[in-house]
Amino acid sequence: MYEWGSRTILKIQDFARGNKMSSLINAIEVEDLRKTYRSNSSEPVRALDGVSFAVPQGRIHGLLGPNGAGKSTLVKILSTITPLTSGRASVMGFDVSRHSLAARQQLAVVLQQTATENLLTVKDNLLIYAYLHGVKSREAALRMRALAEEFEFEDRLRETVQELSLGTKRRIQVAKIFMLDAPVIILDEATTGMDPIMKRRVMDRLRTEARNGRTILLTTQVLGEAEELCENIMIIDQGRAMASGTLPELRKLSTHIFRVNLSFAETNGDLVDRLEALKPEHLRVEANVVEMLFRGEEASLLGRLAEISRELPILQFEVHGPTLEEIFIALMEEKK
Amino acid sequence: MTGIGAVFYRDYRQRMTNIGFVFWDLFVPLAYLVLFGIGFERMLGSTIPFEDDSFSYTEFFLPGVLGMVTFSVAMNTAWGFFMDKDSGIFYEMLTYPITRAQVLIGKISFNVLLAVIGSILAIVLGVVAMDIRIRWNLLPLTALIVVAATAGWFFLFSVFAIKLARMDSFNTVLSAAYILLMFFSSMFYPLSDVPGWFRVGAYLNPMTWQVDLLRFSLLGVGSANVLLLEGAAVVVFAAICLILAVRALNRAG
Repeated sequence: MYEWGSRTILKIQDFARGNKMSSLINAIEVEDLRKTYRSNSSEPVRALDGVSFAVPQGRIHGLLGPNGAGKSTLVKILSTITPLTSGRASVMGFDVSRHSLAARQQLAVVLQQTATENLLTVKDNLLIYAYLHGVKSREAALRMRALAEEFEFEDRLRETVQELSLGTKRRIQVAKIFMLDAPVIILDEATTGMDPIMKRRVMDRLRTEARNGRTILLTTQVLGEAEELCENIMIIDQGRAMASGTLPELRKLSTHIFRVNLSFAETNGDLVDRLEALKPEHLRVEANVVEMLFRGEEASLLGRLAEISRELPILQFEVHGPTLEEIFIALMEEKK
Repeated sequence: MTGIGAVFYRDYRQRMTNIGFVFWDLFVPLAYLVLFGIGFERMLGSTIPFEDDSFSYTEFFLPGVLGMVTFSVAMNTAWGFFMDKDSGIFYEMLTYPITRAQVLIGKISFNVLLAVIGSILAIVLGVVAMDIRIRWNLLPLTALIVVAATAGWFFLFSVFAIKLARMDSFNTVLSAAYILLMFFSSMFYPLSDVPGWFRVGAYLNPMTWQVDLLRFSLLGVGSANVLLLEGAAVVVFAAICLILAVRALNRAG
């Protein structure tokens, strides 16, 4: 165990790294976190209303939620940009309110807004970012060259960033975090505006970083990205945690949603009508292949599908749990 | 590299990458000295009376040019500060392992260096090319005034850069400041001949305090009582602006 904000955490951290016991401690801890924005002109806005969670070291944790759910506020509090109203939050054991500088020393952050040094060259963007985080100049130069190759901007190092496209600026912004060894990476919708190949490269790199013991907190609107990357996911809305856990755990929360894939040997004119009579949430028929999404009990549906199969033989039948997107939408609808 | 050193280096690279900044920082005040100074000198005659003495217009104007250097450098840096906010890097910098104070100290250190270089260039140009005689023994005082004034202007403009969200609002503030603070002061003309309301307004302007002090340190003119008061006012002005800038920076985000 360790005390909040105590320097002893560093010893534990070093020990954990050295002994590959990184999952023993929580890199991020948030407890009953509340944030209220007050202004003279309007009613106070409760952006966070008692959120609690912990992210063990070396894990990729996803934060999902609709626009205005409180994700960015949470990121801003963890990265010490915005003060919290009550509760507590720590990064690698350092309380973000009481030991904000020590907390920042543990962090590499990509904010939602594109943040690049537009008046500087790409090279200076990377080097100065590293210097501002205390990386020595020789080490910074080596890392910059490696990143320029990995993220394919070697030929643009001397260009000023204001001349680049939005996607390239985003690539530079995300590449910067790999200039650092900070144990915690926070990414607020970091892959927005990136092309799919670069997005894939960033995701692969994040997986590698997590395997090497770095902790990653990721907010995203691209649910497929969270599904693929995150070991733990928390869904928040209106400042409250609605659900959290691994993807299989979240699926258990939505057992009444399931996806059915069918392949028929042959079809006839009234197949679509008969399938629509089953009242799926979603139905897609392409030639002999059918994909349906249901909400309700599986057992009753199976009996009715068996009736259909007597006239139109089914070659393949698969039942899947819901995707993260379906869980997310179902939770949002339940809340409404 | 320390946090302050990294912020200093960042501002240095920004200026070196965008040479237009250096034009405004250093060459515009020098152009004022040469073009405006010579033009007015020819128009006004060989000398103008000032504080029981008489000077050529370029002599009279040189301290004003130093004031202009400090003002321009601070304004350009504050504009860079606003651009940082506009590009999002300002908020990202708040997540870096450096304190808000280190950001301000790093920035002000580079500004001061730039203002000192600009002042040296203006003095050398004046002495070598325009035959201006200055008091060399008070150069350390001149340097001190340049440092304090640059810091004051930078902190003042930083408050606006941090607080204002819209670029058109920020540009309007800078333009209004440029007109009011430079022309509503003793920078271009002696205040003895202006209307009473103008004189009262000009003496409320920190630029007047700064230019009067520079006139004393470079030319040896001015009333001791007034200069002491103006010296104290410059220090208080810089201190208040520093407090406001730190508060604005702490509340940013």
